[in-house]
Amino acid sequence: MPAEDAKALEIVDLQKRYPNGVEALRGVSITIEPGDFFGLLGPNGAGKSTLIHCATGLAQPTGGEIRVFGQNAIADYGEARTAVGLAPQEVNLDQFLTCEETLEFHGGYFGMAKRDRQERAAELLETFSLTAKARDSTRALSGGMKRRLILARALMHRPRLLILDEPTAGVDIELRLELWHYVQKINAEGVTILLTTHYLEEADQLCGRIAFIADGQIAAQGTSEELAARYDVVNLEDAYLALVGRRELSRSHVEGGITA
Amino acid sequence: MSTWQIRFLSLWRREISRFMKIKKQTLGGPLLETFLYISVFGAALGSRIKELHGIEYIVFVIPGLIMMAFATNAFTNNSSSILQQKFLGAIHDQLSSPASPRELLLAFCLGGFVRGLIVATLTFIVSIVLTNLTVDHVLVLLPAIFLVGFFFANLGVLIGVRAEQFDDVAFAQTFILQPLIFLGGVFYSASLLPQPFETLTKFNPVYYMISLVRYGFVGFTEVNIPLALGALTAATVALFLVNLRLFQSGYKLRS
Repeated sequence: MPAEDAKALEIVDLQKRYPNGVEALRGVSITIEPGDFFGLLGPNGAGKSTLIHCATGLAQPTGGEIRVFGQNAIADYGEARTAVGLAPQEVNLDQFLTCEETLEFHGGYFGMAKRDRQERAAELLETFSLTAKARDSTRALSGGMKRRLILARALMHRPRLLILDEPTAGVDIELRLELWHYVQKINAEGVTILLTTHYLEEADQLCGRIAFIADGQIAAQGTSEELAARYDVVNLEDAYLALVGRRELSRSHVEGGITA
Repeated sequence: MSTWQIRFLSLWRREISRFMKIKKQTLGGPLLETFLYISVFGAALGSRIKELHGIEYIVFVIPGLIMMAFATNAFTNNSSSILQQKFLGAIHDQLSSPASPRELLLAFCLGGFVRGLIVATLTFIVSIVLTNLTVDHVLVLLPAIFLVGFFFANLGVLIGVRAEQFDDVAFAQTFILQPLIFLGGVFYSASLLPQPFETLTKFNPVYYMISLVRYGFVGFTEVNIPLALGALTAATVALFLVNLRLFQSGYKLRS
């Protein structure tokens, strides 16, 4: 049985080498406390999605350990996956289903009873302004609606850890703010959140702690201020630019006329 | 209902829901195809070939057509469903759920199995009404037809898992499955073929499946029934275990 004080997500020395020889993760270790809003930032190909896939069973680690609320994500995958909700980067809705069915089937995969599934699906469709589209095929949804449905699906089984893999990529500002308000609300209610995003201002505002990942390794982690201090810069964005070796792109330089 | 029962039934219902939403294509098309075979071989050829081994020609052919309908629909459903879901990424919703590899595999298998069963049952009902088809050995027919359905449902899963593009599924269906079925004796008796075709037919596993089903319906066979039933059972179990191993290892499903 997991201990009462178990971490929401505990990753120790995680390694992932793909069959083609690519080493996507090279000994990643992070710990996320229950109730945290944790950001995982890094350039494309750094290993963010691979890490998330390993934590949710979509990829198989080649080394290391992953625990979700104390449950081993490989050996006790049933309990571990029940605790996790995943909103993936790509739109991966089943085109044969309606919005209502998408949520209803997802709840079923997680063992929710029929009445609970129906009530929860209705509640989430209402929350994400999708009630009018409940019986529409997912194919008929706009891009923003698909994003909302993906988030609703991730929340359907009431996960204790919500993983958001670039959930606002390509969505309009109104929807982005709407999503963040909701995510902040459920975080305040106790849901732990792991977020990957390329919008650094979002990570800065939302995340209590942030880890930088680059080349399959954690380069640094801490609060925004700690990361800025570590790279001897003034804010998270500049710390990130320092991480990827592009300090010359800093807005403070541009605003000061150095590179403009 | 326990958690795993809800989970399994949801996975299974999803598979059935997929083909029911496009039933003109998944049920109507195959039914029409089977009825066209019955019309052509019953009305056209049947007027020239009155009997085979003392059995009315159309009655001799129908058991093979029922088996073919079951097999091709179970196969096509599962190979297409898995590949489509892999292609769209929708399969990640099932793979990241607490469902075990066995639950996932069985749900996929039984989706195609049910589609094959529906087409085969409707073909059987129409055949009973339109022809003199009878069921002589129900205790052979039932296990034989169910094993055939489950075997091809598993074969569809295997091809769907291995496939990386729709061409892979089409290739398996057009260049492997259909020739094996058509050359397995659906429309003729192997003993009427000249050598070496008669001997070659006996190397075709589908020949034994058709023979089992035909024996169940009309009581005619050219094969050892207990041996064929035993071999079909062993092949079906072996294929299921191969698929289970693939699902456990995440082969081409989990990266």
